[in-house]
Parts: sequence; C-alpha cells; structure tokens
Amino acid sequence: FRGSKGRPRQDGGPLGAQLLGRRLGAPIGTQRVLGGDGDVPILTTEDNIVSQPAKILNFLRKQKYNADYELSARQGADTLAYIALLEEKLLPAVLHTFWVENDNYFTVTKPWFASRIPFPLSLILPGRMSKGALNRILLTRGEPPLYHLQEVEAQIYRDAKECLNLLSHRLGTSQFFFGDMPSTLDAYVFGFLAPLYKVRFPKVQLQEHLKQLSNLCRFCDDILNSYFRHSLGDG
Amino acid sequence: MLLLKPLCLRTSAEPWPENATLYQQLKGEQILLSDNAASLAVQAFLQMCNLPIKVVCRANAEYMSPSGKVPFIHVGNQVVSELGPIVQFVKAKGHSLSDGLDEVQKAEMKAYMELVNNMLLTAELYLQWCDEATVGEITHARYGSPYPWPLNHILAYQKQWEVRRKMKAIGWGKKTLDQVLEDVDQCCQALSQRLGTQPYFFNKQPTELDALVFGHLYTILTTQLTSDELSEKVKNYSNLLAFCRRIEQHYFEDRGKGSSSIRLS
Repeated sequence: FRGSKGRPRQDGGPLGAQLLGRRLGAPIGTQRVLGGDGDVPILTTEDNIVSQPAKILNFLRKQKYNADYELSARQGADTLAYIALLEEKLLPAVLHTFWVENDNYFTVTKPWFASRIPFPLSLILPGRMSKGALNRILLTRGEPPLYHLQEVEAQIYRDAKECLNLLSHRLGTSQFFFGDMPSTLDAYVFGFLAPLYKVRFPKVQLQEHLKQLSNLCRFCDDILNSYFRHSLGDG
Repeated sequence: MLLLKPLCLRTSAEPWPENATLYQQLKGEQILLSDNAASLAVQAFLQMCNLPIKVVCRANAEYMSPSGKVPFIHVGNQVVSELGPIVQFVKAKGHSLSDGLDEVQKAEMKAYMELVNNMLLTAELYLQWCDEATVGEITHARYGSPYPWPLNHILAYQKQWEVRRKMKAIGWGKKTLDQVLEDVDQCCQALSQRLGTQPYFFNKQPTELDALVFGHLYTILTTQLTSDELSEKVKNYSNLLAFCRRIEQHYFEDRGKGSSSIRLS
C-alpha cells in the first residue's frame, strides 16, 4: 500500500506498519497484495511473507527495527492497553464506515480496493471483506438488548466518538503519545485515523467528529508531512 | 432501548436499598471461569463502593439477564447486567470510584479495562470453549449440569458453537493454546508493569479497573482446570499476587463475606 489519501484498510495497521517501518529506517517499498487468504496488508521480504499489522510490527521488532527502545516498561504497558481500546471501541465503527455503510462502500472503498488487486480477486475479495466486517460487528456488538442493526450502528458510533475523545485527551498538546519521537502506539493510532481523516466519503459522521478534535488532526498532518511526503503524489 | 430509558428517569432519586441482589449461576457445579470472573469483579466493585449486595445463585441466571450475560443486579425495580452498565448505574446513584481521576487518567483506566476484556476474558473463553481437553473434561459437564438429558448436551453444544463463531470473527479461531497463553502472559506483564509497587492502579484508592483485574486474576488463580498453565502465567508476577491478596483481605475477609472461601496459596 502506498501513500495516504483514499486508502481504505481492513483494521488498524497497514498504514501504521508502513509508518513504523519508515520511521525505523527499514527499507520499505510498495508492498504487493497477494490476497491469498484475504489477509491484508502483507509485508514481503526476501524470505518471508508476513500479514496482519500486529505480526508485521513484531516481525520488524525481531529484525531489530524497534521504535520503543526509549519507552519505559510502563509506557510499553500503556501501548498495549491503548491498542486494545482502539480495537474494541474504534475499530467496529471504522469497519462500518469503510465496509458496511452502503454509500461509502460502493462509491469509495470497493472501486479503490478492486483497482489495486488483480483480476479475478478484484471481483471476490471486496465482497468478502465487506461481509466479514458486518459479521464481526454483529457478532461482537449485536447482542441483546440491541436487536436491530440501526441500534448496533448507533452504539458503535457512540463508542467510537468517545474513543476519539479519549485519544484527544491523552495526546493533549504533545507532538506524539510518548514525547518527541513516534512509537508503536503513534503508528497504530495513525493507521486508524489517517484514512478516516483524509478519505472523501459521502457519509461522514465519524470523520466530522474527528475533524473537531484539532490535536488529533494536527497529529495526522504532522506525520503525513514528515514521513509520507514523497508518496503524496502517488496517493 | 426500552430498558435504558426508565433507568435515566428514576435512578438518581432513590438511594441504594438494603435488599439489592446479584444473580449468577450455581457456584459449585455450574458456573464457568469467565462468568465467575465477571461476577467477582462486580462484587469487588460494589464492596469498594461500600454498597451492600446479596449474592444469589440460580441455574437460569444467564436467561434471566437482560443482556444474556452474567452477573446482573436487581436493585429496587431495575435490573442491570455487566460491569460497564453497573458502573454507570451506580454513578447515577451518586457513587463513583473514578471521580477523582483527571481526563488523562480516565482514558488510561478505560484503556486498561479494554485490555483485560480483549485479552484475559477472550483467553478464558477460548480455554473454556475451544480447547478440546477443557471442553470435554470440564465445560460441557458444568454448563449442562442443571438440565436433564438431552437438553444438557444441546445447550452446551449450542453455546460452544456461538463462542467459536465469535472467536473466528475476531481472529482467534486459528490460534493455538500456546499462543493464547502467550497473550495472557503479555497481558499480565502489562498489568504488572502498570501496577508497579503501588497498592492499586491509581495509587491509594481502588477504581473499577482494580475490581475488574481482581475478578479475573483471582478466579484464574483459584479455579481448578485441566492443567496449571494458565494460573502459572499469573503467578510469575509477584506484585499481581500481592494485589489480589490485598483486595481479598481488605474487601472480602475483613467484612466477614465468605464469598471467596478458597484461599490463595
């Protein structure tokens, strides 16, 4: 995946993983999407193929590319906790915005995604990911007393807005979450927020909320300008 | 939605009654690890708020609950289930453990609570319902124990199917037991690092986070499973053991509540 604009993603990490890679100086070029089992993003090196953001981050760490050396044990623990918060509270609404909300999915996500993967996968994969997203949302959040999809949707967007508020409180006026240098947590948060911030959607409620949190927007802009300057042209 | 509206209108006026009750499954024969942890977390939270609660065990507690999850509390004429909503409910009545925290601390507290739900609770569910040894030897028998044949088998298989479907949706379906135990270790390490040498997670006063962590860790340490691997992961961290002992002594033994009669070894 390249660049920043118009990039849907399945869960928190591909953009974050790429950011982390670049920050750490790992030579990361364009990653080819193989789409074997539908898992994106995929990092390819000479001998390895790694998918899923958390595994990519672990892989980079084992190859001695680590953004967290300067973090204390306590900050490392905080990282894990905030990542859990993002996955539980923000991810369902982001999945919904990209993959389930019909206007967004059919006008933005599906065409973009299908244009980046080879035929015949372009016919199959987007639909599968959309169904997977809806399935995940309903199975994890669609429990009594929320019986209708609209009620589930209302709840997940409420949770996501609260999560964005919490992130904004936590970031405050700092440049990054742990001081002056970006860490794994910054990469994760950026991976979630940047597409949400920049992609032009028809249905934009979560994006509108994010734009009101000026420190989070500043956070995204700073990282885009520092680390993705060269790719903006490709985006 | 119907259940939530009356809550907002009427709760703030009435004080906490003496006859508030908490419902869970049968302690000895039926309740499973994850539900026991959830129930203990709520009991600890209410103890920390100094709110009296009576624990009642019913075989059909899961079906009585408005959300299908245990525990649930019956206070006055309201029924509220699960720790999150119960904390909100108690707050509406004027009791809170986290009012003294600033916004950044509150964000941190919520993040760590999600960590416990995301990793510890999911690992408990995995162990109970996806690990063949545990399912065969413990879970099926316990889950169906109050019901006659063939209902006991049908209900147990149905629940197992539901849990496995959810595990698959969140990406835990392909995990091995070792990977799950590794996750538990990572979670305990994070909790241990965050706790440090403090008595509670936010220094001197316990919050709902302490109640939640205690509920899960204590249950893991004191529940007999097919092997000790899970409890060994927690035992590696001495400050977590001390934390559990401290809460047990202060909030359960000292008040004469014998709800956890098994001692920490």
